[in-house]
Amino acid sequence: MTLFVLIPLLPLCASVLLVLGGRRWGEYGHRIGIPAIWLSFGLSVFAFLEVLNNGPFSLSFYRLFQSGSLVVDINFYVDQLTVLLLLLVTGVSGIVHVYSSRYMIGDPRYNRFCAVIALFTFSMVALVMSGNLLVLLISWEVMGLCSYLLIAHWSERTAACAAATKAFLVNAVADIGFSFGIILTFVTFGTLDIQTILAQAEGMQSHTVNLAGWLGWDLQIHPVTVIPLLFFIGAMGKSAQIPFHVWLPYAMEAPTPVSALIHAATMVNAGPFLLVRLSPLIMLSPVAMTAIAIIGAATALFAGLVSLTQSDIKKILAYSTISQIGFMIMACGLGAFVVAIFHLLAHGCYKAFFFLSTGNALQSVQAARGHGETHPASRGTWPLYGGAFLLACLPPFILFSGSYESLWGVTGFASATVGFWIIGLVTVFVTSVYLFRSVTSLFVHAPRTYWTTSGQPALEERSIHPRFVDGPILGGLVLATVLVGVTLALFWSWFAGFLAPAVIPPGASSGAGGTEAGSPVWIPVALGVAFAGWVYAYSLHIRPRPEGSASDRKKTWLYVLFWNKGYFDEFYDAYLVNPNIQLAHWLWRVIDMRLIDRAIHSVASHSVLFAQWLWRIVDIKGIDRIVVGIGQQSVGLSRWLWQVVGVGWLEQKADQEGSRVDVAGSFLQEAEARTIQHQLLVMILWLVLATGTLYLLV
Amino acid sequence: MAVLMDHFISWMIAVPFLGIATMAFVRDQEWIRRIAFGATMVELALSLFLWGNFDFTRQGMQFVERVEWMPTFNIQYAVGVDGISILLVLLTTLLCPLCVLCSWTAVATRVRAYMSLILLVEGAMIVVFTALDLFLFFMLWELTMIPMYFMIILWGGPGRIAAGLKFALYSLTGSLLLLVGILGLYLEGGHTYDLLVLSEQTYSSTTQFWLFLAFFLAFAIKMPMVPFHTWLPDAHSEAPTAGSVILAGVLLKMGGYGFLRFCLPIFPDASAQFAPFILWLSVLAIVYGGYMALAQSDLKKLVAYSSISHMGFVTLGIFVFNSQGIQGAILQMFNHGITTGALFLAVGQLYDRTHSRSIQDYGGLHKPMPRFVALFCLFSVASFGLPGTCNFIGEFLVLVGTSSDSFVKVLLAMAGIVLAAAYTLWMLQRVVLGQARTPVASRLPDLNWRETATMIPLVVIVLWVGLYPAPFLNVMDASVTALIQHTTGGHSASQLALGP
Repeated sequence: MTLFVLIPLLPLCASVLLVLGGRRWGEYGHRIGIPAIWLSFGLSVFAFLEVLNNGPFSLSFYRLFQSGSLVVDINFYVDQLTVLLLLLVTGVSGIVHVYSSRYMIGDPRYNRFCAVIALFTFSMVALVMSGNLLVLLISWEVMGLCSYLLIAHWSERTAACAAATKAFLVNAVADIGFSFGIILTFVTFGTLDIQTILAQAEGMQSHTVNLAGWLGWDLQIHPVTVIPLLFFIGAMGKSAQIPFHVWLPYAMEAPTPVSALIHAATMVNAGPFLLVRLSPLIMLSPVAMTAIAIIGAATALFAGLVSLTQSDIKKILAYSTISQIGFMIMACGLGAFVVAIFHLLAHGCYKAFFFLSTGNALQSVQAARGHGETHPASRGTWPLYGGAFLLACLPPFILFSGSYESLWGVTGFASATVGFWIIGLVTVFVTSVYLFRSVTSLFVHAPRTYWTTSGQPALEERSIHPRFVDGPILGGLVLATVLVGVTLALFWSWFAGFLAPAVIPPGASSGAGGTEAGSPVWIPVALGVAFAGWVYAYSLHIRPRPEGSASDRKKTWLYVLFWNKGYFDEFYDAYLVNPNIQLAHWLWRVIDMRLIDRAIHSVASHSVLFAQWLWRIVDIKGIDRIVVGIGQQSVGLSRWLWQVVGVGWLEQKADQEGSRVDVAGSFLQEAEARTIQHQLLVMILWLVLATGTLYLLV
Repeated sequence: MAVLMDHFISWMIAVPFLGIATMAFVRDQEWIRRIAFGATMVELALSLFLWGNFDFTRQGMQFVERVEWMPTFNIQYAVGVDGISILLVLLTTLLCPLCVLCSWTAVATRVRAYMSLILLVEGAMIVVFTALDLFLFFMLWELTMIPMYFMIILWGGPGRIAAGLKFALYSLTGSLLLLVGILGLYLEGGHTYDLLVLSEQTYSSTTQFWLFLAFFLAFAIKMPMVPFHTWLPDAHSEAPTAGSVILAGVLLKMGGYGFLRFCLPIFPDASAQFAPFILWLSVLAIVYGGYMALAQSDLKKLVAYSSISHMGFVTLGIFVFNSQGIQGAILQMFNHGITTGALFLAVGQLYDRTHSRSIQDYGGLHKPMPRFVALFCLFSVASFGLPGTCNFIGEFLVLVGTSSDSFVKVLLAMAGIVLAAAYTLWMLQRVVLGQARTPVASRLPDLNWRETATMIPLVVIVLWVGLYPAPFLNVMDASVTALIQHTTGGHSASQLALGP
């Protein structure tokens, strides 16, 4: 059992080895990563069998810390949900490792790339296994860091750097919600252990926390209602839901294998995973469920429409990912957690496959250009069509499997049913349109604009040319995804039964939990809609279109709106980013420099002025005059004395005094010439002497 | 052995001064550096030994030494450590060898004086963190200022004279208030400077109010809290690298240490009375410092303003009076010393190469200096509290502690963390990523082995505290519990138990 600790540790060790080895690994970095990941995939299979036979188990690692009543243990909890995601994560990660050992070879930072994707795999595995919210947060953020590093992989490109910063910052804002949720959870439940929290959640519904106690007000909230909302804000960031979706399209600056692994198959799924993991808690909050469903639906629809208008294949795929995750989130919001996980797994496999095929295609296009050919190579087209087909079929199955209808009654959304179905159907249509459109436009036409690689070294300069064949890699990938897809589709009811214990609160009354497959009527309808979308896309492609109509179409405001991605980026720049930077500059210039610093300076300069005034008035006019007066008087007196007494011996005395003063002056000059260190030594000596004298005296 | 063990802290205090004395007889610069490094390493070994022999379970002071010094005024030489001070002693002794290492080639003039100043600060800081007598504390508190002043004005940047003067004047103002406070306490508390005796007594609320105010202002200037902070960016940016590291890493901690050692135990009522005000100032410092850092174009100033923001977490944690808050605050002091120290070291390494602190002069450093960039990125993300690194644990504990006070402050502090992420990543984007903006920046040599060796211990600690903070929290647990019991008198138990 303890052997399963190796599932996260193997990728971690690989990453550490790669980092420590640095450039010494040269072009053999993948030789560390690939075996480690596949070993942990193998272990995941064993973990799967273990859970299948004996149910969930937990592994405890060590105590992170204990502070007062806050005790945090690093422990892993492996249940049905975890093992399924483990299979997905390690499997896709292994495939991507193999793929990128070809795709990225020759890259100057190949080794760093391998290290970071291994670290990413570790953190994603730790995320799905963690049994403690704080451990979950830690791996959540480490994952974000890996994403940052990989987006900025080609860091000569300014766009890549900006995209990386943007991705991290958007997530940082969303993570306020997550962290705050964790703190509120601790305040409410007194622990951060997920299973304890879920077990207690039902009984805590009437518990209240006063939010405004420090003001003396009485602002009671039900933490069980609020906590799911806060967690959902975190999930929105990681899973790129409106309004936090802006980072994902820019994240496509990352190398394509990264897009496949992180920005399609695994990391962005952390949001739905979190919701499913905490499902017994989330179901207690109807407000949160409504919000989740609405935001999921809005994202699915919006991102689908945007991806219809985009022209960059990776951006299209990014928006399609956003849209698909919107589906999953919506399914969570409707209480169909099993469906969400099914969609998550299937989408993870298909999207990874899709991205890798795109990478192949882009490389072959590039290679063709490199050899002076104008027509892009159309090898590897069929897998893309296959992928598009499978991906397009997915939402209808998911949406209309009807498996969650029984839950709608429980959560009180029956009235919203029709609305969601309409949105769902529209989204299904849009999804199939953009998928086929993008595939067709990439491979049938020559790409009009294509993703330039200005910052990278040209292909010819690389030490090893990538060899892309429809060979074992692609074959294995297709086989794997198809197998997973077919298995999941065939064994749906088995799947639902398998996952059920993980998503239903222990001791909850709703026994079935919505695992029955219902209303099969809707599936053909939805499939029909998807097929209509495909036909529409194909007809758009083959029908010769006069230029005028296209430009007319582009003038409509709706098209412009979606073509500009809903102006989210512009809005954020204008109303969030720039005002904050301007505020910072204003604060610094006005408050810090002009107000505080000037006040301090004016205190200083006024004290100098005061001192000068004191010197002029009191010193010169007052005391000096008195002293001078006394002096003059004494001179007068001495003159009078001189006249009275003989002063020969007095003059002698005065000469002696004068020469002594001279000696003192030259000593001072000498002292100035000495080094500061001598002065210090002298000072220390004096301190010691003075202390000693004081001690003796006292 | 008995001589060593009975006077352990005195030996720790003596070692730096012995080092200075030895250096006085050596002419060769290389040997002066070696002696300084040796002295600081011996000091580090001693403090690790102290750590090893420290009894975590006991609440009171350990390794106590008491000698009558000036019996007429009841002044003693009294030193000792508890769980609160031992981390700061460790921090001091840890950073000083790195300071010597980082100025190995950067300081070529008056090496002996420079190294003596570092050792002098180290010795003085150890007394400050271990003193159990207020008079002794005050003397050495004053003494720490003098070497810093000379370091700034002799080896500093172009604006060093003004910065040094500003630093000295601010510090002197603080010290004056501290002196007033200490003398007032001496008169009110039965003519003794003994900290343990003073904290056992009770004072009238008026006395507490005024004396607390004096102590608070002194520590707030040192800390620095927001309206009193303007000396810090100037002093940090003009000081030489080792100066900035000591200043940010160790000297600022005297403020936080002062709050914990003096304000809370001696004036519990006044602390509770002032706490709401101080908590808001702390939140203000966190957010305001973040905005200031966002506006900077000078690397050192950026790090300096980020220090103000991070020190806000320390005061926030201290004045919520619960175990998570105070433990988080102490840990945060330690972490801030490590990460900000490391950032100043890194900026210093850049400055050694180009003699420019401006962000505009860099860019694309990942190409010529990959090793530097890896370390710099690690410390930067650690500085804004990425989970898995040390600052996260401290900040999280402080936030958990603050949640028992008010959720709005928690949210504002979290906004401060986002600001921290923003200015750090923006800085990284402009310095590390992209294309080199100047021809010099594209040809910078990577870190040599000495510079790498300076950074490695800090990397280890950043990850250690981030991934396994239990040893650091256990060591202070008993002392913090005692402090809270003493401060709140047990009546805030209801405030802490918000859970079911």
